[in-house]
Formats: sequence, C-alpha cells, structure tokens
Amino acid sequence: MIRVDNIKKTFPGANSPAVDQVTFNVNEGNICVFVGPSGCGKTTILRMINRLIEPDQGDIFINGKDVLEMNPATLRRTIGYVIQQIGLLPHRTIEANVALVPGLLKWPRDKTRQRVLELLEMVGLRPGEVGHKYPHQLSGGQMQRVGVARALAADPPIMLMDEPFGAVDPIVRIRLQDEFLRLQQTFKKTICFVTHDINEAIKMGDYLVIVNQGRIVQMGTPIEVLTSPADDFVLRLLGDDRGVKILDLTRSGSLMESFQAPPKTSAGINGCIVQAIQPVKIALEMMMKNNSDQVGVCSGDKIVGILTWNSIKAHINRVSGDGP
Amino acid sequence: MNFYGFILDNTGLVLEYTLNHISLVAVVLFFSLILWIAVGLVISRYDRIAGTIISLGSIVFCIPSISLFGFFMSVPGLGLGRRTATLVLVIYAMMPLVRSVYMGIKSVDPSVIDAGKGMGMTGLQILFKIQVPMAWPMVFAGIRVTVVLITGIATMATFIGEKNLGRLIHQGITRGNADMIIAGAVIVSLIALAIDYIMGRIEKKITSPGLRFEAGK
Repeated sequence: MIRVDNIKKTFPGANSPAVDQVTFNVNEGNICVFVGPSGCGKTTILRMINRLIEPDQGDIFINGKDVLEMNPATLRRTIGYVIQQIGLLPHRTIEANVALVPGLLKWPRDKTRQRVLELLEMVGLRPGEVGHKYPHQLSGGQMQRVGVARALAADPPIMLMDEPFGAVDPIVRIRLQDEFLRLQQTFKKTICFVTHDINEAIKMGDYLVIVNQGRIVQMGTPIEVLTSPADDFVLRLLGDDRGVKILDLTRSGSLMESFQAPPKTSAGINGCIVQAIQPVKIALEMMMKNNSDQVGVCSGDKIVGILTWNSIKAHINRVSGDGP
Repeated sequence: MNFYGFILDNTGLVLEYTLNHISLVAVVLFFSLILWIAVGLVISRYDRIAGTIISLGSIVFCIPSISLFGFFMSVPGLGLGRRTATLVLVIYAMMPLVRSVYMGIKSVDPSVIDAGKGMGMTGLQILFKIQVPMAWPMVFAGIRVTVVLITGIATMATFIGEKNLGRLIHQGITRGNADMIIAGAVIVSLIALAIDYIMGRIEKKITSPGLRFEAGK
C-alpha cells in the first residue's frame, strides 16, 4: 500500500542526513510503528509520506502512485494526520474541527454533519455535550480523541500518527491505545505510527521499524524483533524485561502440554485458570497468585492442557539465546 | 467660566471642529487598515523583508509629527489641508498596525498550522482560516492603540490648515485661555475613548469565543 524506496533527506545546514537509505513497505490494513530515540529521524520519515517534508532523493509510492507527482494538498486530504500537539483550531468548535477535511473536500452540509456526529460518538465523546464546545474547554484526553476523529473524518485509507498519545497521562494513554486498537479492528486502516516508547510500539504495531540516526536498524513483527534483536542498540531499546515482553506476546496455548483427553483428576491444577488465547504473562501472574508452578489452560470452559513454569523458562531461553 | 461653559457658548464652532476631527480620524483609519493590514499579512509570509519593514515603521514613528506635517506640506501636490494630514497620519499608523498584524500571525501556535497543512489546507486557506482568525485579538489590540494615537496626533494637523480640535487647543494656548485648551483636550479624549469602546464591541463580535480565554478575558 505504501512503498518507500531508498529515501534520503539532509536538512539545510546539517552535517549528516536526518534520514538515509530508508526503504520499507507498509501492507494494507497494518499498523507500522516507527520507533527510536528522539531525533532519530522517525518523524521526518513520517512527514515525507504526506510531503510535509520533501525527500532529497528516493521515491514514495502509495497504491503504486508516486506521491511526488501528486498535488500536496490533494494528497494530504486522503491521508489522516494526527500529531502529539493535536493542533485543534482553537477558534473553531469541536464539530467544526472534525468537519475540517470534509469542508476542504466540499462535502454537502448534511453529509458532513452526519459524519461528524457519528465520529464523535465513535471515539467515545457525546456529540451533544462537546460538539459546540471549543478546544480549550476539553481535557487533554478528550482533545486527543477529537484529533483522531478529525483525522478519520473523510475516511482516509491511510493514517499518519506522530506520537498521538504522547501528551496524555499514562492511564488515559492506555485507554486511548486500547480504544484505538478496537476501532482499527473494524476500520483496517493502513497506519504509520511514530513513537519513542517501545512498549507502545510493541502494543500497537503489526510491524516495527526501528530507526536510529536516520537509518533503519531492524524491521519485523514485534515478536521477531523481541526474539532476535539485530544489535546492541535494539537490545537496549527493548529494555531489560525483554523476556517478559515476549511472554506478553506469546499465547498460553502455544507453550502448554496438551492433554489427549481431559484428566479424571486435576491433581495440582485448580481447574480452569487461563484461556489458551491469553498471553503467557497472565498465566505467570496466576502462578504467582496461587503459589504454584503450573496452571490449567482452557479453551472455553474445557480444560485442554497444562502450562508449567519450566516450560516457560525453557521457552525464554530458547527464543532469546543470550536472554535472562 | 469653565470649559463646559466655553463649549456651550461656542456650540457651532466646537461641533464643526469635532466633526472635522472625527471625519479625519475615520478617513485615516479606513486607509490605514486596508494598507497596513495588507502589508502585515504580506511580510508575515516573507520573513526576509519583515524586519526591514517593521524597523521602517518604527523609524518613521520616531519623527516628530509636526516636522512630518511640515515636510509633506511642502511636497508639490499635497500642500495645506486634508490630503497631507491624511497621508502623515496614515504613515504614523504603520508602526502599531503592521507590527500587531505581523506579531499576531507569527504568534499562532505552529502545531495548529502543521495540523492544518497536514490535513491538506493550502497556504491561503491556512492564512485566512487559521492564522488571521487566530491573530484577531492581537490585531485588534493594535487597531485600538492606533485609534487613540491617531486621534491625538490629529490635533497637530491644525498647523497645516485642518480645522479640528487641535485648533481649540492651539488657540487656547496663544490666547492663554485654559478653558479652551481643556475643552479641546476633553473632546479629543472622549472621541478616542468612544472609538476605542466601539472597537472593543466589534472585537468581541468578531473574535471567536474559543480564543477569548487565550487573550486572558
């Protein structure tokens, strides 16, 4: 859907390029997360996709069309854009803010209004309550929801999100992330997402692109990156709790010893404790809570296997060679 | 005798001077707003010339008004009277107006502009749908300063033949008539206050309620 081919950008007056030899693809319906330290060039990469920054060399294609040959304003109206500072127009009401892109596209008034109400509802705001308010009357979390609603207004197939949940407190951030992932399950937008928070990257990303000093260090699914970090930089970025993060992405069902037939007596297993589709992290939590080395794994209300502490340890050792 | 008595005794004259004064200020304001707001908008997009233009405004502003009136009076085609008065006052209005428009536009939060641009607004749409409305409170502050300023300096135009309230003050001084001076000064102040009040009302109408809290109101 988005194909970026060997782009390079050096800002005037800078000694080294901000972005260099960057090539990647984003598949339709995926969230591709760009993660790296501040100043690594991830935002620059994002802003080149909608031509807020022009690359010095290289090509960017969206659905096979070269964006550098499209009119920048027309291009941007087909791409949702969410930034950390949100950038709501302070002199316009919330409804008018959400209606911005439909307005630029000259949608009929009724259609726009219908869409605005629908979107506010969708991002968890009451249209009747906030619609006529001005941005400064909203909380940070509410404003960020409006920012997302505004980006979705014209139903763009692609969204660019630059640390969209970076400015809100951790509790609200987690809620916004969860809600956004839920929306994404129905929308299936193609999303480029920038963050410096590796936890957010792992949580949100179908695909990670790790950037350092303007270059891509590693690309892959979160589990691929976690299990085989390319170098020390990635290892440090992932943090000391890499093993636990892996367990968060591993389903209990994949590590359990399955039963051929349901056991008659459930010795040592206190019935159904975790579901096979739940992450191993939950199973671990349950083991600690029950002070036991094993938990029963279920599918629905039928017990299908047993997950032991030893098999978890073995798994971690296997997937992360030099691991914990 | 007091200044109030002076006004009652010379109603016809005072009224004529007052109307002349108001009409001069109105004409000057009309041209200044069109010219200097346009200039302010233009230089906000060309930073390279902005500094020069704003300094120019400040320099001109530093020239004593009486010498500026005198100078332009001697320019062929201008001479005594309203044309010169208007021109000089418009020049004086440059500093507060251009500066406030420029500062107003520049004070707009860059992230709002970035968001607008990122959503596909063109340069002109950003200017007229984001920057100008957001700059209003600052621009209006500049306009109100200008009004008070112009109303005051207009009194000096009496020396180049404008029959306005400046004449009351000037003649009051030469005749040693304190009531006459006070009458002129009070009416000038009242005009300035009245126009400022009207501007305030207009500002409230035009400025979005979403910006009012930012202007600290």
